[in-house]
Amino acid sequence: MTKIIVNGREVEADPQKPLIAACHDHGEHVPHYCYHPGLSAVGSCRICQVEVKQGEMPARVVAACRTPIAEGMVVNTDSEGAHDSRRECLEFLLKNHPLDCPICDKAGECSLQDYSFQEAQAEGRSSEPRRKLEKRKDLGDVILLDQERCILCSRCVRFMDEVPKSPQLCISGRGSHSVVETWQDAPLTGNYQGNLADVCPVGALTLKDFRFQARVWNLTRVPSTCSECSRGCSITAEVLRDGEVKRMRPRPNENVNGYWMCDHGRFSEGELNRSDRMAPAALRDDAGQLTAADPGDALRVIQNLLSVQSQALLLASPYLTVEEGEAFSQLARSLGRQASFFSPEPNDLRDDVLHTGDPCPNRRGLQEAGLTPMSSDEWAAASAAADCILLVGERLLDMLGDEALAGLPATQRLVVMECRASDHPAVDVAIGVPNRVERSGTWINVDGAAGAIRAARPAPQGVRTIVDLLADLTTTSGQPEEALSS
Amino acid sequence: MVIVKRKTLTLAERLYLPEILRGLSITFRKMFQPKVTRQYPEEPLPTNEVTRGQPRLRELTEGHLACVSCGLCEAACPAYAITIDGQETDRFIEREPERFEIDMLRCILCGFCEEACPKEAIFMSTELELAGFTRESFKYGIDKLKRSTEELAPRMEYIKRINERW
Ligand code: SF4
Ligand code: SF4
Ligand code: SF4
Ligand code: SF4
Ligand code: FES
Repeated sequence: MTKIIVNGREVEADPQKPLIAACHDHGEHVPHYCYHPGLSAVGSCRICQVEVKQGEMPARVVAACRTPIAEGMVVNTDSEGAHDSRRECLEFLLKNHPLDCPICDKAGECSLQDYSFQEAQAEGRSSEPRRKLEKRKDLGDVILLDQERCILCSRCVRFMDEVPKSPQLCISGRGSHSVVETWQDAPLTGNYQGNLADVCPVGALTLKDFRFQARVWNLTRVPSTCSECSRGCSITAEVLRDGEVKRMRPRPNENVNGYWMCDHGRFSEGELNRSDRMAPAALRDDAGQLTAADPGDALRVIQNLLSVQSQALLLASPYLTVEEGEAFSQLARSLGRQASFFSPEPNDLRDDVLHTGDPCPNRRGLQEAGLTPMSSDEWAAASAAADCILLVGERLLDMLGDEALAGLPATQRLVVMECRASDHPAVDVAIGVPNRVERSGTWINVDGAAGAIRAARPAPQGVRTIVDLLADLTTTSGQPEEALSS
Repeated sequence: MVIVKRKTLTLAERLYLPEILRGLSITFRKMFQPKVTRQYPEEPLPTNEVTRGQPRLRELTEGHLACVSCGLCEAACPAYAITIDGQETDRFIEREPERFEIDMLRCILCGFCEEACPKEAIFMSTELELAGFTRESFKYGIDKLKRSTEELAPRMEYIKRINERW
């Protein structure tokens, strides 16, 4: 650690990192476009200028992202000279920038907007026509490029080179003819394209999936964890008006995902926004129809089933949190049974960047909570032998598949606690549960790092948390029927 | 405790008739003066470009709204009356509202939306009347909000004029 003085304050700086990182670490914001803490620094945009005085030399204005830390440096991020240079830099950037903010998806989180405002660059002085370029350039399935809005910071190019290590973007042309392109307009490929929209400091690279879906200031952002593989990337779930999850974005976390996440996880919100949700409670009536019931009655039916049937199979979804896993283990112990969680086959998305290929976000956590993994072959054998099956947690029905349920013997009783509605004829009791943006808990990732999931919107009316439901079942299961009905 | 002193009446007041005649003289005098009462629903209130009636969306001659669903009016609205969802167009202006809803029961006719709009797309009209049978019916969608540019032209002129003054 090296001692430097930032805005009159003596601070410890990491000599491995550029000056801008030291400023940011100590709460002094220095504007930046081309610098990104997760990428190499090139120093091409010049917005990050600060005033530095070293030894006997007069103070000079330097680019903070390309200046190494030196002992005894005196840094002023707020000097007249620094502001002047930034303002000039902004003037050039804005000279050809379209007046697109009202329709631009980046508006509200755009560095160009923010710094123009911050550095009081309010009016342009040129009256020449602006550069006309392609505004809807298709870069494959994920990303749309607006070349007019690009400020040529080259973050996107460096991201593709350095993170997924699949160089596909380049800046071609010279001077004011420079544009970001792919080779011969080939579509981008790979599982990490979505990050391009996050690294782009302006609205040049935007997600097709999020295009015109919401104004960013209307989104409620809640820290959460990605569910799609056992890496458990830290994310922010962004919800519009307590309803749809509109977007999921990586949240910086040095220990897990750095600054990135994969597209497979990023675009997994479809599952969370489905409208066919399970009712809070449903029972099969005399006519054989699954009809809405009083939640208390439904729980009593489950308790009776579990106390009468001695060969119950207790299977949880791999998306259960550690807390829910504990509650499930406790229920199993009170019944003298073993709790398991469904462990799907690894998928072929595994790579060297983030994706582990294992679709269970909480494999370690559930195993530590005492649940045993159950593959689909084991499930087939165990379900045939059981006289009562309790399935708990989101997406479990989809993972098992309808055929697996159709093959169950008719005498067997099936209790399902799920998010999505099901009217499968094998289901006897159905209880709706909250999904992963409607409840809170912890997942343990493949390396043992804990990732919290947080409720980003209220669960549907009447739906209770899995922990509550399981606790209710545990406290009363095993007791004689009279005690329950009184 | 408040003690109210009663005024003792004079003889003329106690006689009753003189006072009645004095009152009626006012009534008869007023009968021959110009009327100021307005027969409201039949006789509408006078309006001009300064009238700040209900906000309306401007429709361009090409048949679509001037609004690009930027959401600035939604953000500016102090009464949270506006809700907007955007969608893609195939025109040069890539974005337009899919849903633009103003809850007229919430709207306080403050005009902030008009002031916030960067696209000259929302203006305070001269329409002041508001009636309905259900709360839902006061949520005005695009179909109820859109007005031609000619209809809103006087207000647009006026806004331009006062904006130049600033
Ligand atoms: S990139 Fe930023 S400054 Fe440019 S149009 Fe979009 S929001 Fe506005
Ligand atoms: S597209 Fe975005 S990230 Fe890429 S160079 Fe342009 S502004 Fe930078
Ligand atoms: S007039 Fe005021 S209250 Fe009414 S919609 Fe506009 S901003 Fe909202
Ligand atoms: S401010 Fe104007 S352009 Fe923006 S959403 Fe409102 S009416 Fe439309
Ligand atoms: S951020 Fe330092 S030059 Fe771009």
